[in-house]
Amino acid sequence: MKLTKGFKIIALAAAASFMVGSFAGCSSKDNTLTEDGKTQIFVGGWPKNEGTDKDNWAARQARFEEANPEFKIVPDYWSFDLKSFYSKAAGGQLPTIYGTNFTEVSQIIAAGYSADITDQLKKDGLYDKFNPDVLKLVSSEDGRVYAFPFATYALGMGFNVDMMEAAGLMEADGTPKQPKDWNEVAEFAVKIKEATGKPGIVLPTANNNGGWIFTPIAWSFGVDFMEQDKDGKWKATFDSPEAVEALQFVKDLKWKYDVLPANSIIDGTEYYKVFGTGGAGMLISAGDMPAKLTQYGMKPDQIGMMAMPKGPKKHVTLTGGSVTVVSNKANEKQIEGALKWTEVLYKPTVSDDMKASSIEGMNLKLERGELVGVKSMSIWNTDTEAVKFTNDLIESKANINMNHVKLYNDFIADMGDCELRPEEPVCAQELYSILDGCIQEILINKDADCAKILKKACNDFQVNYLDNLDY
Amino acid sequence: MSSQEYNTVKLKKRTGGKVRIGKEIRAWALLIPSVVLFFLLVWRPTVLGTVWSFFKMDAYTPREFCGFDNYIRVLTHTQFLPTLWNTVQYVLWSLVLGYLPPVIIAVMINEMVHFNNGFRSVIYLPAIIPGIAAMLIWYYIYYPDQTGLLNMLLMKMGMEPYMWLNDPKFAIVGIIIYSTWKGFPGTMILYLAALQSVSSELYEAALLDGAGIWKRAWNVTRPQIEGVMLLNFVNQIIGVFQIMEQPLAMTGGGPNGASVSLSYQLYQYGFNSGGKGTGQAMALGVIIFAILLVMTIFYFRLNKRVESRY
Repeated sequence: MKLTKGFKIIALAAAASFMVGSFAGCSSKDNTLTEDGKTQIFVGGWPKNEGTDKDNWAARQARFEEANPEFKIVPDYWSFDLKSFYSKAAGGQLPTIYGTNFTEVSQIIAAGYSADITDQLKKDGLYDKFNPDVLKLVSSEDGRVYAFPFATYALGMGFNVDMMEAAGLMEADGTPKQPKDWNEVAEFAVKIKEATGKPGIVLPTANNNGGWIFTPIAWSFGVDFMEQDKDGKWKATFDSPEAVEALQFVKDLKWKYDVLPANSIIDGTEYYKVFGTGGAGMLISAGDMPAKLTQYGMKPDQIGMMAMPKGPKKHVTLTGGSVTVVSNKANEKQIEGALKWTEVLYKPTVSDDMKASSIEGMNLKLERGELVGVKSMSIWNTDTEAVKFTNDLIESKANINMNHVKLYNDFIADMGDCELRPEEPVCAQELYSILDGCIQEILINKDADCAKILKKACNDFQVNYLDNLDY
Repeated sequence: MSSQEYNTVKLKKRTGGKVRIGKEIRAWALLIPSVVLFFLLVWRPTVLGTVWSFFKMDAYTPREFCGFDNYIRVLTHTQFLPTLWNTVQYVLWSLVLGYLPPVIIAVMINEMVHFNNGFRSVIYLPAIIPGIAAMLIWYYIYYPDQTGLLNMLLMKMGMEPYMWLNDPKFAIVGIIIYSTWKGFPGTMILYLAALQSVSSELYEAALLDGAGIWKRAWNVTRPQIEGVMLLNFVNQIIGVFQIMEQPLAMTGGGPNGASVSLSYQLYQYGFNSGGKGTGQAMALGVIIFAILLVMTIFYFRLNKRVESRY
């Protein structure tokens, strides 16, 4: 076949451009300055789709750039997910700032992909204003801070208002009856099932979600999952009667009370889907639950939240939250700009910009049909102007009977005797994965021996993970 | 050879080389995009993955050489042997349940006189449904409460709902049934092409010799498609040995690890270990690669034998 000269040129040009294109993707984001000398801040999690959310971010960008002319905000549509994170980080492709959760941040810090923001937080006068317990969760052992916590939560109990009403578990004013302990949770679940024919409660069991929810249940039974000896070595300790009792409680929900769904493989998505489609009356969840239910058509007034029940040994719940992380590739000026961008919304004091952005965010929730009424825990060490403003805003914009969430809001405002615990200190995700397996086993096998299962799980956790910690 | 002759040959070679390069430049221009893609997406990751499997890794950054430590960690993981056994079970069940249906359906279609094309199109439908969508369809077919399609049928027949993928003994079988449904049309087309290339004269001759349907199938059809069947046999083993997406989407490896495959475990090391398991992921990748390499060599030998027949 004879090729024309034109075809040859096109083929060569295509090959050359393809090669350039292929290798262009390998370059890292080192374009820190614009042509006119402004410092560029690549902001991750920027909304991709046209609409109110994207408009709100653009408005926030315009206000920020006007107030801070030395910075240029560049939208980056990548949102944090573990699957792409490490390859992006290794390739220097992370945005300057992006959001993630407490669950992931310890791994990011350990891998060295987050910038040390301690000095900038001190310069901005925020370092001493954070709740020290919260700040500790995003700090290294030497006290350096590697992420900006902007929201914290505590796990509580969510419920379907209609199903609780059908079971006679709601007061006339819309306040739910609070199950005081896990036995009462089982009793409530039985009543819901009797009244509605639907499972009284759903628990996650897969993709690490089962272990994540099981840990606070187990703590309340007195379980210690691990302990560190004098030499600094970690030892798995959940081969214990307390852990057997906690696992037996979950097993009883299935085989004694018959209040769990038939499906025993429930990951995070399925968990909220089952609840959001009226497939269960209660679930254990954080205050950010309503946002996950909108897509299933659950109306705000059908959703309620209450406090975490007590266990036989103690009253305890799990805390977590959201953070923004500055990339380890960011220079000092970028760190300054990235934190300024975050501080617009999250500062103890109230600014006009913060007010505007908060109101825009709240209106967006209402537009989406999302529940507005659940309050957040404070990240600051004292009651602040910003927390008061946010809580007042929530009350003024609430689209539900506030009594549906009163018990949860009271719970996080004053936790009383309830201990607030962060995730287990090492290998938390691996622990969750192993606990997922334990939970699945007792849910599919009526004759499963909890003690035997936990003995094997404890050994697996020790051999596969804790013994390799220094690796 | 005298020095003059030597120089002449050398000159000819040189001139010939120039001409060849000149001629080949167009071919190279067309090849370069594929070569670049192969380099970036296949060769480079394969070589790097192998090299880095001998390093302690900080996510995707090699920290220090560690010899066979990653391999030792993978092989001494308490779930390695159960996972290897699961993978072998996937392969065995895929051969039991999935190997013959494409052949049988191809023979059926080949024998059909009417609606041949229409039937072929309908049969091919599962192959064009996107993978994740198809997995979700089957997830709900198998859903273990009364809303699952199979349980609806059982209940219509007065039976109790079954656990399906929640049953550790059925999880792998259930996934293989789905995979067979999804994958057989492509294989079936290969068999159909082979069947259609069988000369009708052979069948006519067999008929004249008084051969019945089974004798014709065994003595005429089988030798003609045997080569393709052999290749698909090895190909299926290699393909199913790498099964990952199906357990990931349909069971999450559960219940209690009953459907975790080696590739799924590799995915867990690589993407769900907070960057701590990338070294092990690469080591496990090399282990899977070594196992599959043996099968691939076998595959190429078979392929050569089959190609020599046609």
